[in-house]
Amino acid sequence: MNILLLSLILALGVYALLAKDLLHSVIALSAISMLSALLFTILRAPDVAITEAAVGAGVSTVIFVWAIRHTQRRDKEEP
Amino acid sequence: MKKLELIKIVITVLLCSLLVVPIILSNHSWPTHARNYLLANAQSDTGATNTVSAIYLGYRAMDTLGETLVLLVSVTGTMAILVKLGKEQTDEETTSFSLTPEKRPTNRLRTHLLETVASKLGPIVLLFGFYVMLYGHISPGGGFQGGVIVASAIVFLALGTEVKSKLTSTFVLSRIESLSFLLLILASISGVFFESGFFGNPIKSASSLSANFIILLNIIIGLKVGTSIAVMCIAMMGGSHDH
Amino acid sequence: MIIERILIALLFLSGFAAIVGMRNIIKKIFGLNLLNASVVLLFILEGSRIGNQAPILDADITNMVDPIPQALMLTAIVIGVCVSALSLALAVRLYKATGSLDIQVITERLQREH
Repeated sequence: MNILLLSLILALGVYALLAKDLLHSVIALSAISMLSALLFTILRAPDVAITEAAVGAGVSTVIFVWAIRHTQRRDKEEP
Repeated sequence: MKKLELIKIVITVLLCSLLVVPIILSNHSWPTHARNYLLANAQSDTGATNTVSAIYLGYRAMDTLGETLVLLVSVTGTMAILVKLGKEQTDEETTSFSLTPEKRPTNRLRTHLLETVASKLGPIVLLFGFYVMLYGHISPGGGFQGGVIVASAIVFLALGTEVKSKLTSTFVLSRIESLSFLLLILASISGVFFESGFFGNPIKSASSLSANFIILLNIIIGLKVGTSIAVMCIAMMGGSHDH
Repeated sequence: MIIERILIALLFLSGFAAIVGMRNIIKKIFGLNLLNASVVLLFILEGSRIGNQAPILDADITNMVDPIPQALMLTAIVIGVCVSALSLALAVRLYKATGSLDIQVITERLQREH
């Protein structure tokens, strides 16, 4: 179960770095926080799970979406 | 010169992996002395049943003071950059998704779902945040967790209602944050006057009351973390013009 | 046991490669977030090997998990989000000053203004 969750986290992480639309990357980071919180609950760490769920899926996503809104949404490759 | 850049990146990552991968993959056995000591003595030393709370509010409270200071400095820096950015923009650009229907851009995908759900859920999440903050010494939770949940609830209330209340204005919230930091410093100095050292528990003698110090610290840290993150989020959404 | 450590090492290296290799500033900040997440996962995973019960002292608890890495990682998560917030504010400020998010274009435009 740990190995399955960790490989999902790795796959989402690589997708977040290679996506062209930055909003897709932000949603992938939020999903990484949710899977990490699930993994912490399985590993008997309830305090860390509550903190990671509240901070990762709440505050971190809000500040990333604010940053994308005030700059560009697509990752343009300039030559 | 894309190939040259790719070779440089690969060499850098290989050098980093030479340093880091042997640390991650090493297979020593984890020592158990600390866990055995805490299993026997954590409740009688600090009065808390939650061992993680006993560590970061009792044995290693200096780390908590440092972390609160880092939070204060980073939110101050972000607000300083935000206020400078906000002065260079017009009003229509920044406040276009949190206010009255006349000011919203006309868009047929924009429904009333956000305002309805957020305004109804806000008070429930606020109550839950205070519950997690106050019961941090006997169940999982504590100051930080409750504080972040209270910040989320304040952001819900700012997004959901059109009435400008005092709870979602940056003036009142920043005053509460400064007051909480002052109370934290006073609570940590009070241990010196009662012969327990800096950040010590001043009511250690009566064994049934010694958890109250941890409850007080939880409330202070929760209020500080909650209001500072709420101020940063409300300023990001553009609501810092109304004092 | 060894496979989980290899996966966490790969996550760490991909975060590091993003900071070094990506040209967009916001992708570099994504890499910083991934580094933070990988270190937190490593500590909690290693600390959970010596027991099988959560660290809340109920009446009959004999074999609890090590609580010290969990207390350290609480601080680490909050500091990670603080660093992300400040660096994102600086990135938006750079965008308003130069008009681009590409690190080489920003360097050229800032050097031209001198």
